[in-house]
Amino acid sequence: MAEKITITIVVNGQPTHVVGDTEAPVGSLIPKALEQTGNQGQPPDNWELRNAEGQPVEVGRPVRDFAGQTLFLNLRAGIGG
Amino acid sequence: MADLDQYVDARVSRSKFDRELDEFRSLEADYRRRGWFLLSAEFPRVEVLMAASQLTPPSLVLGVAFDYTNYDAEPPSVRLVNPFTSIPYLASELPTRLDRDVAASQQIVIQVPPGMPKPKLLQPYMQWYSPDEVPFLCLAGVREYHRHPAHSGDAWELHRTSGAGRLVRILEVIDRYGIEPIRAYSVQVQLVPQITGFQAEPPP
Repeated sequence: MAEKITITIVVNGQPTHVVGDTEAPVGSLIPKALEQTGNQGQPPDNWELRNAEGQPVEVGRPVRDFAGQTLFLNLRAGIGG
Repeated sequence: MADLDQYVDARVSRSKFDRELDEFRSLEADYRRRGWFLLSAEFPRVEVLMAASQLTPPSLVLGVAFDYTNYDAEPPSVRLVNPFTSIPYLASELPTRLDRDVAASQQIVIQVPPGMPKPKLLQPYMQWYSPDEVPFLCLAGVREYHRHPAHSGDAWELHRTSGAGRLVRILEVIDRYGIEPIRAYSVQVQLVPQITGFQAEPPP
């Protein structure tokens, strides 16, 4: 069975701790983070995951690559005007 | 800046305002590394300064003034302001229009002759009608957006529970389209070199 680790994800500024399989894609944590913070008004595709430097995170990378990091999940801007 | 009376129970709005600040402060070191500085916060207003830390020397680009009056029955008001005076920028003074490269984000194909650079189809998130007026941030989750008659079909209530009006979320959008794309100072060399703006690469 895959080992589990906890990643801190900051959803629109609100930190939450999400447990995931080390080998699972980090994107699989997004629905859990949204659920845990009560942000269920928009589908997961409308959210964007970034690292502490503000760089976009490849959601297909395994969770283990982000051990000890804090990730930031924010609602995409959408089309303005 | 407040153009609303507080009709929501002030304890409710203040509690939600305090939550925004507490969460920001709990990660303040992370935000500071990205060039975000909490300048002042007194209900219902917050002002954050945003710097382009990727430049040498770094540049203080703009301030963002929030007004959380009646939050979250109403979304916050958001203005880009002069970081030294807190006075909202007029459209003609904006250091950035928060341009988005629509052609890239929507995969619009623009045919150009071989060898010619592909033109960008830019859409600014900052909107205005004349250069001498205060522009507004055309973004769901912002009071000025939801009050605009063109957006009467996109009510705040449709976005309220998604966190669209939250402090960090709005700062992320301004950072992504206004600060992060800055690559270098745009310098015009005359008799005396002058910094004339930023060279930015609008993201999709």
